[in-house]
Amino acid sequence: MAVALTMAQMKVAVLRHSMTGQRAGFVFMGAVVGLVLAAGTVFLALLGPDMLTAVYAVWMLGWIFGPVFAGGGDETLRPEYFTLLGLRPRRLASGLLVAAFVGVAPAISLLALTGLTVFGVRQGVAAALVSVPALLLQLAVFVLLSRVAVALLGLALRSRVGAIGAGLTNGLILAFLGQIWVVFVALGETNGIPPVVTTMTRYLPSGWGTVAVEAAASADWARASAALGGLALLVVLLLAAWAVLLTRRAGASKAATRGRRPIQATTASGAVLAKELRTWSRDLVRTHQLTFAFAYGVFFAAAPLLMGWTGMLPWAGPVFVVMAAAMSANLYGTDGTALWLTLMTPGASDVRGRQHAWLLTVAPVALVLTVSLAAVTGGPWPMLLAVLLALLGGGAGLVPLVSVYGLVPGTDPHRRGGNPLRSTEDDGAVTGTVYAVLVLTALTAAPAAIAAEFLGWAGVAVGALTGALCYWGFGLLAERRLLERGPELLDTMRTGHKPASKPGAGGRLPFDSLPRHKQIIIGFCFTVGAIPLIPQGLLAGYLKVSESPTRAWFLALHLPPWLQWPTIVFMVLLGVALYATGVILSYRRKESPTISD
Amino acid sequence: MPAALEIHGLCKTFGEKVAVDHVDLNIPQGSFYGLVGQNGAGKTTTLSMAVGLLRPDEGHARVFGADVWSDPAAAKALVGVLPDGMAMPERLTGREVLTYLGLLRGLSREVVDERAGELLSVLELDEAEKTLVIEYSTGMRKKIGLATALLHAPRLLVLDEPFEAVDPVSAATIKTILRGFVAGGGSIVLSSHVMALVEQLCDHVAVIDKGRVAAAGSLDEVRGDGSLEDAFVGLVGTSNGGSKELAWLSR
Repeated sequence: MAVALTMAQMKVAVLRHSMTGQRAGFVFMGAVVGLVLAAGTVFLALLGPDMLTAVYAVWMLGWIFGPVFAGGGDETLRPEYFTLLGLRPRRLASGLLVAAFVGVAPAISLLALTGLTVFGVRQGVAAALVSVPALLLQLAVFVLLSRVAVALLGLALRSRVGAIGAGLTNGLILAFLGQIWVVFVALGETNGIPPVVTTMTRYLPSGWGTVAVEAAASADWARASAALGGLALLVVLLLAAWAVLLTRRAGASKAATRGRRPIQATTASGAVLAKELRTWSRDLVRTHQLTFAFAYGVFFAAAPLLMGWTGMLPWAGPVFVVMAAAMSANLYGTDGTALWLTLMTPGASDVRGRQHAWLLTVAPVALVLTVSLAAVTGGPWPMLLAVLLALLGGGAGLVPLVSVYGLVPGTDPHRRGGNPLRSTEDDGAVTGTVYAVLVLTALTAAPAAIAAEFLGWAGVAVGALTGALCYWGFGLLAERRLLERGPELLDTMRTGHKPASKPGAGGRLPFDSLPRHKQIIIGFCFTVGAIPLIPQGLLAGYLKVSESPTRAWFLALHLPPWLQWPTIVFMVLLGVALYATGVILSYRRKESPTISD
Repeated sequence: MPAALEIHGLCKTFGEKVAVDHVDLNIPQGSFYGLVGQNGAGKTTTLSMAVGLLRPDEGHARVFGADVWSDPAAAKALVGVLPDGMAMPERLTGREVLTYLGLLRGLSREVVDERAGELLSVLELDEAEKTLVIEYSTGMRKKIGLATALLHAPRLLVLDEPFEAVDPVSAATIKTILRGFVAGGGSIVLSSHVMALVEQLCDHVAVIDKGRVAAAGSLDEVRGDGSLEDAFVGLVGTSNGGSKELAWLSR
């Protein structure tokens, strides 16, 4: 236990030291969002066990898949720190497990899991008592599953086959989660959770806590002990698996020794292109991301086939493009301090080369996918082509632009240790960037989509035009930013945080000079504003117009008809108001400059 | 004749810490200039600002008269840099890194191929032809870094700890290359905390302490009659009267 306590203390110390500046703001914002979600989960406990169990399944999937796409999970204490101590693997793993419970995410999950106790208390004393070990074991299962998943993927990413296989699997699972309503509709259930799902979620480890509490309530002690025992056994097994996996962590992935084709380029931009294309194909983390984006697009679009609807099928291509853009969101950050070479050769256009490489990697697949699937379903050609062209240009423009303006400092590739997914220490910020690029890229197709809707084939020209404009314009902006603020970006990359430049040193964002509480309010507005505006407002409105049977979590659609439109309008206004507040607070400072030097 | 590198009044503060405090240095053309100092004295920060990788709070740097910040294209074409511990295009092989960088520097394809082959063979990296840089050892990373600094035949080399983690055989090769470069009219600034090495290679030396220049000039001016190490300890020595022993280590 001494080892475990020391590791926990170490983690507390590291977390305390890292809670400074912008990072603390992100952690605070994340904690606020997490608390809201946890409180919502606990509230569901009042509605009954079915919903609660389903939501716990989502929490579990979040623990498993969150780290895969955002920075490789919490690795404040790296196993490598302790290799020289000669700890036995089991002891190391238990110590790291105890330390893993220290942090914001486990605390929030613990709070969400108290929903079990809330549910138990309503069932009686015995159920309430059983809920306590159940929720603790449940949390241990979540944390361990997360660690084991990251470790397994780390192993998979040592070979190309593994990387592709993992990408396909992850894409499949997440696409079906994104399209879960299709499953519900397919099961003939549109107003609640179908019975099959409530049964299935109880078979998942995330449901065993509920099973134990339910069994205790009905005095079925055998079942209750079986559920608790199952959780305990799972903890032991996962811990053992993790201990084994920890010993398998050894350095970065091995590259193939087969012959490498020489670079044929003869120009500077050709050289950047060749370098990027090689990085895309040789970095197995990128291989995994691209395969994931592809699988996500295909399965997301194919899921409605379950209910016999082919309308979404040809959209696999556009969905793939948006996902691929989001996956490459922190392009410059993942290359780390290699930026110094770009700074030393100011004449060569690095951004253009990277844009070109991104397009060459994504566009052919997207085009083939879209055209072949559209040929199967017979269109709608103008709309598909318009959106696809707009998205390709939009993604190729936004990826470098966002990665130089919203750079999240990464860990240099040769310093990532045994976890190839660990591209940054700041998973919160990188998650935000991924979502930002996802939404922004999708938005770049809006003009083309509107034009195609009303003008037909002319929309394709609009898509080509906006795509070309985004590619050219955003690329130009990124190039300028890199030229003007290159040294600051490199410094951010080297030190892991934004340079604390003196007032008057130039180029400082107004956001950085705001007081902390304003930064938090602004951050809250920008993060949360999208929820009322897009899903609760625009999307709900779209579903209402299209008379879709889906109600899902769209508040307006659950209300009496006469309230639905007012609610949608209110949600849109609320979202706009939140964004406006954020913008106004960010820029008001400019009007009353403080006397600084 | 302008200096190979002229550093004037460079300052850099990180938060509360003054890393570099009004550093002036003049590196004459054709000199082999050593920069020595303790860990954290400000050597790397000074060199990063001198070549345009870190923006100074104050002051300027000129490479053969071209200002690094207002005329970066001209200045950066004349200088080859080996920074300490920075990433490279990690998924390329050594030869590919050199090809990539040579083309970025505007060299023709033939020149790039010829020089890359020669650099790889002289630095004994040609055996690792199929190895990606990410799998290089620390010493190999130094060597490929040095190759990238030399590739475009610059007139000034700025090298941050070029001999760290390099094996003795490779170190001897590198010394020969660097001496040849100076003999051919090139200028070198290197930082190190190995006094013997600086004494062996350099004709000029500057001692940096707590972000300031404690002494600068020709090697003989700085070390006087004693060794460079004695002079260095005299200049930056701590007040506790030399090194202490750890009593508990001896039995």
